[in-house]
Amino acid sequence: MSSVAGLQRIAPVPTSADFIDIVLNATMRKTPTVIHKNFKISRIRNFYMRKVKFTQDTFDEKLGKIISEFPVLDNLHPFLSSLLNVLYDKNHYKLALGQINTARHLISQVSKDYNRLLKFGDSLYRCKQLKKAALGRMATIMRRQKDPLAYLEQVRQHISRLPAIDPNTRTLLICGYPNVGKSSFVNKITRADVDVQPYAFTTKSLFVGHMDYKYLRWQVIDTPGVLDHPLEEMNTIEMQSITALAHLRSAVLYFMDLSEQCGYTIEAQCKLFHSIKPLFANKPTILVINKIDIVRLADLSEENRSYVETIINDKSVTIVETSTYSEEGVMDVRNVACDALLAHRVEQKLKGNRIELVANKIHVAVPQKRDDLERKPFIPEAVKHKVKYDKEDPERRRLQRDEEQEMELSGMGIYSADTKKDYILADETWKYDKIPEFLNGKNVADFIDPDIAEKLDALEREEEALEAQGFYASDEEEMLDSDEEEFRDASKSVEKKKASIKKISQEKNHLQNRPIIPRKKKHVTLSEFTTGMRKSGHDPLVLEKRAARLMDAKKEAWEAAEARDATASEAAGGMDVDMNGDEVGSRPTKSKGVIKTKSGMAVSRAPRTDRRYAGLATKNQSEKANELRDFAQREPNRLAKASESDRHVPITRPKWMLAGKRKGGKTDRR
Amino acid sequence: MAVRTQFENSTDIGVFSKLTNAYCLTALASSTNFYSVFESELADVIPIVHTTIGGTRIVGRLTAGNRHGLLVPSTTTDQELQHLRNALPPSVAIQRIEERLSALGNVIACNDYVALVHPDIDRETEEIIADTLKVEVFRQTVANNVLVGSYCALSNQGGLVHPKTSRSELDELSSLLQVPLVAGTVNRGSEVIGAGLVVNDWCAFTGLDTTATEISVIEATFRLQGQTSAAVIGEMRDSLIDHYV
Repeated sequence: MSSVAGLQRIAPVPTSADFIDIVLNATMRKTPTVIHKNFKISRIRNFYMRKVKFTQDTFDEKLGKIISEFPVLDNLHPFLSSLLNVLYDKNHYKLALGQINTARHLISQVSKDYNRLLKFGDSLYRCKQLKKAALGRMATIMRRQKDPLAYLEQVRQHISRLPAIDPNTRTLLICGYPNVGKSSFVNKITRADVDVQPYAFTTKSLFVGHMDYKYLRWQVIDTPGVLDHPLEEMNTIEMQSITALAHLRSAVLYFMDLSEQCGYTIEAQCKLFHSIKPLFANKPTILVINKIDIVRLADLSEENRSYVETIINDKSVTIVETSTYSEEGVMDVRNVACDALLAHRVEQKLKGNRIELVANKIHVAVPQKRDDLERKPFIPEAVKHKVKYDKEDPERRRLQRDEEQEMELSGMGIYSADTKKDYILADETWKYDKIPEFLNGKNVADFIDPDIAEKLDALEREEEALEAQGFYASDEEEMLDSDEEEFRDASKSVEKKKASIKKISQEKNHLQNRPIIPRKKKHVTLSEFTTGMRKSGHDPLVLEKRAARLMDAKKEAWEAAEARDATASEAAGGMDVDMNGDEVGSRPTKSKGVIKTKSGMAVSRAPRTDRRYAGLATKNQSEKANELRDFAQREPNRLAKASESDRHVPITRPKWMLAGKRKGGKTDRR
Repeated sequence: MAVRTQFENSTDIGVFSKLTNAYCLTALASSTNFYSVFESELADVIPIVHTTIGGTRIVGRLTAGNRHGLLVPSTTTDQELQHLRNALPPSVAIQRIEERLSALGNVIACNDYVALVHPDIDRETEEIIADTLKVEVFRQTVANNVLVGSYCALSNQGGLVHPKTSRSELDELSSLLQVPLVAGTVNRGSEVIGAGLVVNDWCAFTGLDTTATEISVIEATFRLQGQTSAAVIGEMRDSLIDHYV
């Protein structure tokens, strides 16, 4: 936060002792602290060089911060610059900062020297002594900066308490002899609380107050009193007033006390005016005659009046009478001063070219009449009778906010504004009627129509009339012409085709996960089987014959069994027969697979057929099979696999070759 | 009489409210502070309606209206429309508009007699505006901005427009609208006048940041304290020059 316009906040400046403590502490905390027995000398050197360098860096940083934070007097607004000059003495100030800067250079020089020496340190002890000497010298340099640091801290504290004077804004500057009522006036027109006492030099520095006038914000500066003597003899307190007078573009209010209660004669007061008059050049100047509750201008003796008239005769000076005691004319003084300053500022601004940029904002566009229509404002009668709402009035209107607050305070829950309360309806009782948003799946709002009953009536009447006319009684069937018929047929066939395509596509995906019956268990009819055989190029004639033979045999057996049953049942005389499954299920056993010789010994033999081609009838098929087999073999061959099932992963980095100490030769020589 | 207020810490009160000579719309907020500011000034004179438009709170930017009617965008729900119809007096026609530029408050600036509209607005919408609001409609821009509703505030007694409007443009607009116009700002230099200021023929509400100078320009422009708008160039001229330059 800037306390004074144009001056930034400055961090506190430590005393020289504190300064040294802070920096050495930082060095201890932020650099390594332990040296071990086995450290090499280069490491020890680096250890100490680091400490020296770090200390210097810290000093450098802290001193640099002080130098950069304090304002450079030449870069400030002339008013601030000379005010600081008056208060702190420019030379002293510059010297102090200069000394700090020199100290900074000296410290960096010390660091450089000792780092150079440390490079030649040949033992821990010597390095340590060098470091100690370096830090000691830096501390000595800082210790010598005791006075500049103390001075700068005082300046800092003083700067932070300066009033926030904006040198560029609208300013009323109040000056005059001590004790003529300057501070009382400031207290009257602003909210500043300047100390007022009945002795001279109560006000020892500049004070600022603010006020509003003509939609603008004004700054009022109360200055310490000035005595009439040469500039060289003026003290710091008076010089502050002179500085403000010299550098601020403002309206000057020169206060006079005709009653001479302040202890200075009218003659002296007039002389002061004339001697500081050069400072009023190009500024609206107002001569304020204060304390008129005691003596007015008109009451003056001839001699005194002639003194005052030397001022009044100057046309550039406006004269106003006031009394801060009886408050007579206080506001007049303010208004006259403000108006004069505003006029002066505007006059200057109008000379510049920036006025063009805002020309449109101080222009009211007045309409030119384009027709005879009168466009009157519309202000309801109620507005004129409305009582202005006043927060303090106990009879005031109860607002929703009041209700809300009441509810919250009483802890009755959360307030929810009643939006339906002020509905304007034909019947008050309708206000809170519930209207469904949807009814039977239809948006109710779509059917809201004030004239719906009438419209329905009209429709019904029309319908009746039409019926009565016999409009709907047409009995002839419309004939379809041939074109239309053709079109229908075509569309039907298209539909059919579409349906079949859809069916095929659905079947493709149908039951992908179905349980698959193994082929062996599947029931296959003879005709299906033989058609398949034929398709793949086999002749199933033998099979067919065999099947027919078996069929015949089965048939015979069945017929025989039927005949037997019939006779048995006749014999049993209708008795229930317990049919046991034993005989039915029994089959003649027959060994398969192994061919036995008469002697009963199994004999090995070469396969009669090449089984790779078993089941392949044509040459084409066998060639295709070969091709596929070769293809399938390609990948395992490429990876040197024994077969598909070979999952062996060879070791790429064998441990025996890579682990352990290597005695016999190097890695690539083993 | 101009009143400073804010909506839930936002000074763009024109976004959350709509003020005309016959009614006032305010957004539904978590507390009733904003509503009550209007209530204290306008209660018993015109209805003040808590509403949302299309479920949003930016009622001021989505609607346009005057004493004769209210236009709402197509996003307005049936329930909101019903609520508005119930809450507003029968003399105010309410019309929902199918318009691509659905922020009607931004594209239409109107008083009870004349409306300025965005140059790209639909022909049909233009007719609806003329019929519902009973105004003459002009396609215009304000200081090269097409969003005329955002950059000006109008009443039957005056108008405040974008601060960069040139003098010739001011004169032209003023002749179209048949009210005195002033270029100015609200909310400590904001140029979106429509967002910072809602005004009718007898009172105005501005954002909380509006400065004393801005308030005095507003009051003079809209003749809220019985002055004439010539005050802007008369007694206030010096203050304005010193303030702006």
